[in-house]
Amino acid sequence: MKKILLALFITSPLVWAEEGSMNMHHHSHEGHLHDKMVDGKNLEVNAERFDKFMEGIVDMNIAIVSVQGMVCDFCARGIEKAFLKDSNVNKIDVDLDSGKVIIAYVKSKEIDPDVIKKMILMNGQNMTNLQIIKI
Amino acid sequence: MGIIRMLAFILVLAMNIEARPISYSGGSTLMVKSDNLSNSTYFHYSPSFKYSIGLEDFDNKLYQDDINYFRFTYLLNRKNTLNSQRNLYFQSGIDISNKNNNFYGAHGDWETRRWFAGFGYKKVEGETNNGYENKYLQFGVAPYIGDYGDFHTWLMVKTKKSSLTKNISTFPVLKFFSGDALVEVGYDDQTNWDLHLMYRF
Repeated sequence: MKKILLALFITSPLVWAEEGSMNMHHHSHEGHLHDKMVDGKNLEVNAERFDKFMEGIVDMNIAIVSVQGMVCDFCARGIEKAFLKDSNVNKIDVDLDSGKVIIAYVKSKEIDPDVIKKMILMNGQNMTNLQIIKI
Repeated sequence: MGIIRMLAFILVLAMNIEARPISYSGGSTLMVKSDNLSNSTYFHYSPSFKYSIGLEDFDNKLYQDDINYFRFTYLLNRKNTLNSQRNLYFQSGIDISNKNNNFYGAHGDWETRRWFAGFGYKKVEGETNNGYENKYLQFGVAPYIGDYGDFHTWLMVKTKKSSLTKNISTFPVLKFFSGDALVEVGYDDQTNWDLHLMYRF
């Protein structure tokens, strides 16, 4: 069994939460809610859920993050905890069904895709796409 | 399908899988386990999502050993997809007061929001127990898909074998979690209760 474990160590591809292909879209849009378009694409969100999230939100930058590996409530907790430590984050929603994390940042905060990507990775998941809208 | 074939099938599935002995970067976790062979209280901290370090108070009921392990767990491999995650971990521990008491092994899991499969292997070496091995396989299904923040339930089956008892026992397990707390309860008429409590800070 020692040999098996040794072989495991040696042959393990050590593929950390692989970084999938990532598309990031930056755009400022007037208006509101789920029928917004970013780079000609509709927002990739659950419409009803997104509208509920947006209730009462004004003057914010919204990041819609697509995440791979977010299949378990218990495991996604770290994402919420990490982002809420940032004083620029006003609100966050984790949607396990669609693999989306929606984050509302204060208007004065310029959203840095690399920071979001790193924070998702620190929780053991991968960011694959990011849409940003300004409300 | 015979039991051997079924177990072989399960093993093949399980080998493609993983579990959660490592928290998110900067997170810490308290785990309490109890079964027919041991009681354990384990606290670990994860400097990174790739590994965790911690201390375990391990009480072997058969040999009446009480060992304090320094533990190290390392994520060998993880595969994230939109609908699933699988992990393979290396686990190890060494007695703080006697390096001849130690253990090593591997465990893994694969899960979607509906299905779960996991396995574990642990080889324990020590001066008082002559060494032994523990193995398990675990499979589960979520009867309903809860949203983030809901109360989640899993119906599971666990098969475990220890070289200490030579018995293979297979029994039902219920797993519940909500927020940062997780409870896993199994019962078998041979091995009695199999309990696992976890809280993530």
